[in-house]
Amino acid sequence: MGTVITVTSGKGGVGKSTTAANVAVGLANSGKRVVAVDFDIGLRNLDMILGLENRIVYDSIDVMEKRCNLSQALINDKRAKDLYFLPASQTRDKTALKKEKVEELIETLKKDFDYIVLDSPAGIESGFENAIFLADQALIIATPDVSSVRDADRVIGIIDAKSEKAKNGGEVSKKIVINRLKPEMVESGEMMSINDILNILALPLVGVIPEDSKIISATNVGEPIIYDKNSLAGEAFRRLSKRILGEKTEFLDLKSKKGFVNFLRGLFK
Amino acid sequence: MSLFEAIFGSKKKKSADAAKDRLKIMLAHERAHSLPYIDDLKKDIIEVVKKYAQVNDIKIKTEKNQDIDYLEVEILLNNPSKS
Repeated sequence: MGTVITVTSGKGGVGKSTTAANVAVGLANSGKRVVAVDFDIGLRNLDMILGLENRIVYDSIDVMEKRCNLSQALINDKRAKDLYFLPASQTRDKTALKKEKVEELIETLKKDFDYIVLDSPAGIESGFENAIFLADQALIIATPDVSSVRDADRVIGIIDAKSEKAKNGGEVSKKIVINRLKPEMVESGEMMSINDILNILALPLVGVIPEDSKIISATNVGEPIIYDKNSLAGEAFRRLSKRILGEKTEFLDLKSKKGFVNFLRGLFK
Repeated sequence: MSLFEAIFGSKKKKSADAAKDRLKIMLAHERAHSLPYIDDLKKDIIEVVKKYAQVNDIKIKTEKNQDIDYLEVEILLNNPSKS
């Protein structure tokens, strides 16, 4: 049976879809059969980040409402052979999802795939609830700013309340991914550090993605940054994927290129 | 404070520290309201306390610090001297 990983956050725009896309590619490149499912009905984005928007014929709502078979809606990525993508409907809104239908779909996917990566919509209403309901693991994405960390805390507080696993006495494994970290700002005391955020959220860390302008270029062309061998963010996503697979991988050594004063400061520490 | 700062003087409070402090205060408050059972718990505690004393309201605060969750219950008694 496959593992359901829900990528979520409280605040929008912190990199959920980017993380979902890169983790899905990373897992598939490690030889796992992966399906990435966009749960952001009406505001889909995962298709463009994965570069698969031109191949969409059917979407998950079509499958749930039996207008097509699952295999007709699934899109196989040409670069990552073991990666499939199930798009969200762009013409419907999130009330179109019915809990029983979602459950049925996820259970079917679990039989066919090792990992089901769910890209959850921002916010904490029905769309989020559907994405978290059957999650085995939740990746909570937070950027080092007060609104994102505050909203992440709120989401963490309600994950178990919305989870089927928690209802049956289990617990969803919840882990933090810190996105868009700027090491030089952390060093100058103008950005919360990794430890600051973990202290507040009190959950284990599974990934740190540095701010990287290459992510915008990667999204522009629909090729996830994880394919870019020279990008720091790409390397961070490769390591994140390995950690999800249970490998012990060191976190990237993120330090700004030090100026003379900082060099002196380092000597005195 | 590092030795460097002791010698060369440290600048004013950094904004990252301000962010941390503001978040901690805000979340300590918000977490109290995010527990799903908090209202029921409140009602039950009031019922029990009523057996022994006059009580109008109780305040419940929760705090999370690394692995430890605290639940702080403050019971406001009516005229505690007379009861």
